[in-house]
Amino acid sequence: MKTLVNVLIIVTGLLLTIKNAALAEIELSFRFNDAGQKEMRAALDKFEQMNPGIKVELQRIAWGSAREQFLREAAVGEGPDVVHIAQVWTRSMGDAGALYDMNELIEEHGIGEGWGDFISADLASQDDGTIHAIPWTVDTFAMVYRKDILEKAGITEFPTTWEGLHEASVQIKEKTGAVGWAIPSGSGPTNSIWFFLNFYWWSNGWSLVDRKADGSYYINITPEQIAEGLDYYKSYLDKGINPQSMLNVTNWGAQELIEGMVRGDYSIISTPENVLVQIESAFKERYPDKSNPFASTIHPKSSVTFVGGRQLGINVNTEHAEAAFKLIKYLTDEPVYTDHYAGMWPAQKTLIKQLPQVASHKGYKDQLILARSWGPYSTGPIPIPTMWNWVGRGAGSVFIGEKTSIEVANEIYENIKKEL
Amino acid sequence: MKDNKFVFFLLIPSFFFIVFFYLYPTLYNLFNSFTDLNLFKLRKGGNWIGFENYIDLFVDPEFIRVFFNTTIWLTLVGVAVRIILGLLLAFLINSETLKKYKLTGLFQVSLIIPWATPSIVAVVVWRMILDPQVGFVNQTLVKYGIITEPIAFLSNTSFVWPSIITIITWNTLPLVTLTFLASLKSVPAELLDAATVDGANKLQRAFYVILPHMIPSIIVMILMSTFWTFNNFAYVWLATGAGPGTFTNVMATEVYLKAFVDGRMGYSSALGIVMASIMTVFGIIYLRMIVKRNLKEIF
Repeated sequence: MKTLVNVLIIVTGLLLTIKNAALAEIELSFRFNDAGQKEMRAALDKFEQMNPGIKVELQRIAWGSAREQFLREAAVGEGPDVVHIAQVWTRSMGDAGALYDMNELIEEHGIGEGWGDFISADLASQDDGTIHAIPWTVDTFAMVYRKDILEKAGITEFPTTWEGLHEASVQIKEKTGAVGWAIPSGSGPTNSIWFFLNFYWWSNGWSLVDRKADGSYYINITPEQIAEGLDYYKSYLDKGINPQSMLNVTNWGAQELIEGMVRGDYSIISTPENVLVQIESAFKERYPDKSNPFASTIHPKSSVTFVGGRQLGINVNTEHAEAAFKLIKYLTDEPVYTDHYAGMWPAQKTLIKQLPQVASHKGYKDQLILARSWGPYSTGPIPIPTMWNWVGRGAGSVFIGEKTSIEVANEIYENIKKEL
Repeated sequence: MKDNKFVFFLLIPSFFFIVFFYLYPTLYNLFNSFTDLNLFKLRKGGNWIGFENYIDLFVDPEFIRVFFNTTIWLTLVGVAVRIILGLLLAFLINSETLKKYKLTGLFQVSLIIPWATPSIVAVVVWRMILDPQVGFVNQTLVKYGIITEPIAFLSNTSFVWPSIITIITWNTLPLVTLTFLASLKSVPAELLDAATVDGANKLQRAFYVILPHMIPSIIVMILMSTFWTFNNFAYVWLATGAGPGTFTNVMATEVYLKAFVDGRMGYSSALGIVMASIMTVFGIIYLRMIVKRNLKEIF
């Protein structure tokens, strides 16, 4: 009898424990797409310790498929609770009904130093004020170069015009054999040439999509001006100062570029700051006795670049919106950037001022001051990925000589005109 | 009558499986092809626009190139290379010379390796082999002075299609070869002996005895390879991303680009229906052949 009572007590105890655990435990899923999964896991472990009732599963998907995968999932009631998205996707995803309306959560729990402190807040919300994501990180492209190779080529000052950069690349090739500006010229749907062409166009005051004071959208560039940009980059390939192998390279942070910069085969690239972090880390590991030869600066002609970045959204299908928001609040706090997500600028003005900066990364801060948001590109009627694909594919056709620059320029112009 | 009811009852699960697993998605796709369904408005659904997507598709000058790439480069050239090489390899593995030096087993095992390699791994490995900077092919060609500058095989318009065909062939040739090898081994010895007695030399035996015996398996392999290749997305997408420009864009990659980059799910569905219709023609030929062969075997 005594044994039976003991067994009953144990079983009852176990059942109560299981029941309580089930009640207390919230299981969140967070889809984080950058490298550094180990560091992010450590950050989430800390979050779990601070919030005993919440467990977070870390998921990952390649950036190339992240957008459509989430849209498909959200449309059928699935997907992760918290999702890591490019800032230019937020408005269209929110419009598609895939993201949770965060206004009430922000009102109730607050976020950072207030909504006004966030950069790219315009891209995280709709015109009617609905907030669909919290800006997490911002970045921009800057010119990264090898001081030692430029010095060897007799270049003491980094060029400040597009023509000057072209001439410097010729000079570097002739005097050192290294490639000057290594431009990834591949034409996949998320190609880099889209950015470089826009930098060129913007620095001349042109823009594929612009907005009038009355709110309507228009093309602020002619086909001839589009062609000028295409010809500029084609000339690097035609003259052999950008190797043909760059037609294989699509991504701005491709291993070929990192390795080329570390080995000194390439001397200049245009890339976001996290890629410079990878280059410096690889260089230090391979040549521990050598001093850091890298520096960064702004693009030629004080070119405007874009404020890129990532945001954190909550899936509209989540059953744990409060817990998901708690996780977002934690991820947008300073310790995450300093301890776990190093090399990323927080999308909050106050935090940017507080974070320390390495000398070789100075160019990024200077470039961020010049950077602009995607603005009308993002709020306009043509999704950025669609224009990105048109421009990248078109540039690819020009680079291989399949079409002339003016033919492609006319196609891009007509496509945009039709959609506007 | 009772038997018929029982048979009907047994067929119900298969019927539901076919309807819900195959027919429903196909009909749903067909329906979508008549709408303007957009990736960014999936929850809202699409509006009925009739044949607009099909009209857009057939008047799009890009469609001609995509169709040419799919039918000529990817399918015709790709399948032809596989069938010819598969036949030659099967003859080689079955040869007396290899048997004499006990190399048959080694050749068969080495064929299994590419076959067992997933397509994504095959493409990644080949991208490295063909890489202009660190690739084995370029390094070897430069080292022996055959070329002075490395070639960007996957972005140079003269080399990109042959490179894609090489990758597909490497990964899929083993199945074709092993199928032909099995067929080759089933040639009756007495037929070959009779041909030898009649004075036929090796070449004549191959052309007049062995090849006619292998015709059914060759045709089946041509049809099967056509199915697998025509719809294939992975090789082209992973090797070139349909580039440079749109130079290697095929129908499967166009479906992806239109649906998930441009967001035009309706248009993409229409393209999918066109692809399925083309494949249906091959399917009918295949089924007719199989049914014909089975009937011959029965009667």
